[in-house]
Amino acid sequence: MATEEEIAVKEPLDLIRLSLDERIYVKLRSDRELRGKLHAYDQHLNMILGDMEEVVTSVEIDDETYEEIVRTTRRTIPYLFVRGDGVILVSPPLRTV
Amino acid sequence: MSTGGEKGSTGGGEKGSGGGSSVKTPADFLKSIRGCPVVVKLNSGVDYRGILACLDGYMNIAMEQTEEYVNGQLKNKYGDAFIRGNNVLYISTSKRTLAEGA
Repeated sequence: MATEEEIAVKEPLDLIRLSLDERIYVKLRSDRELRGKLHAYDQHLNMILGDMEEVVTSVEIDDETYEEIVRTTRRTIPYLFVRGDGVILVSPPLRTV
Repeated sequence: MSTGGEKGSTGGGEKGSGGGSSVKTPADFLKSIRGCPVVVKLNSGVDYRGILACLDGYMNIAMEQTEEYVNGQLKNKYGDAFIRGNNVLYISTSKRTLAEGA
């Protein structure tokens, strides 16, 4: 029963490897987003990011007017280790208008 | 550690119908949908629609031309988007028309 198929098709992690040393966008849990240069990663999506900016988004709803107040908090960090279990999505930087 | 006798693939998957079903196991389904437009729903409720580039046994996903939907449309992601598998609730095929322009 040794006809094990070799994995001929790339895994998603192989495609992340193409983004090494490139700037990427990372979406984390707790409404956090990161943009930075990907220095390293592993199969858990633990990552090392350099020259990084973090954006934390919080939405408050006014009790009376039911108006949504969206607040963003930014901070820049030159070098950071990100634990992979908080990662939701990884992508090249967005170019939204 | 290996007790033997248990094969990982095809769990109790033998259904009695001999009607030429095209998909036997979830793994076969995942192999068959590469290149198809899919809808990926995450545990958080966010929807991602795009073309499935590849995926692996952990349900890590790589997609192209991905759009993110939370209630309405939030962001457009051009190029590749990688989604960590533990966040994925389901992967569904869709007959999405590629009508999205600029």
